[in-house]
Amino acid sequence: MADQSVVIIGLPSSGKTTFLAALWHLVTARDIPTALRFGGLGVGEASHLNAIARRWRDAKVQDRTAVAGNRLVSINLLDQTDNVVRATFPDVPGEAYRRMWEDRDCDPEIAEILQAGGVLLFIHSDTIRAPKWVVDEVELSKELGLDVPDNDNAPWHPRLAPTQVQLIDLLQMLRMPPLDTGPRRLAILLSAWDKARGEGLTPEMYLKSKLPMLSQYLERGADGWIFQTYGLSAQGGDYDPVEVSARPAAQAEELRALDSASMRIQLVGPIPETHDLTEPLRWLME
Amino acid sequence: MAAEDEDIETIVCANPECRVAETGRCVEGLELDACPHYGEEPDYDEAEGEELEEEDVDQSITLPSAETLSPEDASEILRRGESRVIAVLGPSDSGKTSLIASLYDLFQEGPVAGVEFARSLSLHAFEHACHDARAASRRSVPHMNRTPIGEVNFYHLEIAGVEDRKNLVLLLGDRAGEEYRAAADDVSVVAGFMEISRADILTVLVDGERLLDGGRHNLKSDIIMMLQGLHEGGALRPHSRLALILTKYDAVIASDHAERAFNDFNLLLGDIKLFFGNTLAEVESFQLAASPKSNAVSRGTGVSELLSFWLRPVASPRALTSARPEFGRAFARLMPLDEPVEEPNG
Repeated sequence: MADQSVVIIGLPSSGKTTFLAALWHLVTARDIPTALRFGGLGVGEASHLNAIARRWRDAKVQDRTAVAGNRLVSINLLDQTDNVVRATFPDVPGEAYRRMWEDRDCDPEIAEILQAGGVLLFIHSDTIRAPKWVVDEVELSKELGLDVPDNDNAPWHPRLAPTQVQLIDLLQMLRMPPLDTGPRRLAILLSAWDKARGEGLTPEMYLKSKLPMLSQYLERGADGWIFQTYGLSAQGGDYDPVEVSARPAAQAEELRALDSASMRIQLVGPIPETHDLTEPLRWLME
Repeated sequence: MAAEDEDIETIVCANPECRVAETGRCVEGLELDACPHYGEEPDYDEAEGEELEEEDVDQSITLPSAETLSPEDASEILRRGESRVIAVLGPSDSGKTSLIASLYDLFQEGPVAGVEFARSLSLHAFEHACHDARAASRRSVPHMNRTPIGEVNFYHLEIAGVEDRKNLVLLLGDRAGEEYRAAADDVSVVAGFMEISRADILTVLVDGERLLDGGRHNLKSDIIMMLQGLHEGGALRPHSRLALILTKYDAVIASDHAERAFNDFNLLLGDIKLFFGNTLAEVESFQLAASPKSNAVSRGTGVSELLSFWLRPVASPRALTSARPEFGRAFARLMPLDEPVEEPNG
């Protein structure tokens, strides 16, 4: 049995746990053909995967907070030639990656995780923070007849940096000591693609348009990333919020009504549109 | 009664991070009956907790900084590959940080002057420099901080797509304006300005706002005297090119004294060419609105042209005109005769 590792990285709330939940459902349900197939439960700890997949099937937002700690989850998969591949994924809270950008350090456990295999980078396509300038904001406020904000003078903090800057830094760190392990494959997953696809752009074009500096960094290859860009809707729409008092989402009801939960998954990118979200994993492990 | 008893039962969890008692939800996202910690008393010792926390901090792995580079780090980069040192000089508040921040911020939106962002080791420093012009600062007018007095620091920016060459690292030297001004008072300080002596391009900023007021004569004198100090201190090199920049172009064109300011700027350019033109490879002028205070002029006006100037192929050092030996005299044509080959004895 071959052991393969895939590193899942992304800022907080970028869709990492939802991906794992949908992946576990998809391979265990075995109701649609996938590039990588279920290879058995094995002796690994499946309770976490079962728990998150249960929430996913119920169309409930994942409620795993930052303090839950790091988990390594392993899934046995069969490749096209029936070889068993044991894929290990870290399910690490996004705060750990944010800490790397802000505080310039990380736990040894995370450092070890980050040095294995291909990289799945999650970017929530609907919450990209683009740089905004004082002059443009003031002009916009005037045009809309709104009050111009007072000269508040908020101090600088790394957290205020645009999404693309934080992600470039994260990828750069993976190619510098002490985390560097040489050139690697990188699958970029633009999550919540159902919110972005209305713009009529391919995932590659979306990356170039919404994250132009990240796109330049990747295209110019100073760090040697071999990358592909996918759009992924692992939920299919809005799920019921976590808060007990909150009203259920209308879309969640529609999604629960689908006969096969696997059909909620939509993946677009270098391949024709599919429900098979094992495709980026197959490419990373190729 | 039983129901009431249940209501007042204390909800506990062995995981000290879990707030199930307040939220009713397991922090691990598990069903309450499936959670191994739910209902168990936390085994929490405060002193022990603190100890563990300290241990965690000690064990964390330090990752590379994203601040500006020290002169030592910059020297290392210079030794490693193709790079270019850009010294940005000018009196305080002339717009040095604004220029550096503006160039970086243009890459946030796409390629600049046909070249693209490849990577940067100074992302925190760039972001910090940009902050006071960004909406996140919650200012109503863009502002730029002064560079603090101290050692020179370098912003690292690797770019790609410069003609057919490999990536090029730009090292943008940032030093407090007061220190350059001191070169006019004491040329011995120039020996410590490594960013000038190693500079491929000197970028000298002329504060457009000061050209509009009574300080214009002193401003011109300050710049000439600063360059004179650098020249006498041996920091101006024959391969260096000089870009003379009129900054705050937006303020200049909005002023009644715009024509006079442009005229003063051109006179200064003429003086620099006259006094230092023979010492430098090239002198060229630019007009810049790096961080305009209104939308009347686009953000980064002139930055793209300046970048193109920075990226021009490096001028080869002027050939030294060493005295060549002349062999015109007949005496010089005399050559030693070959020694006769001695026949071996016997």
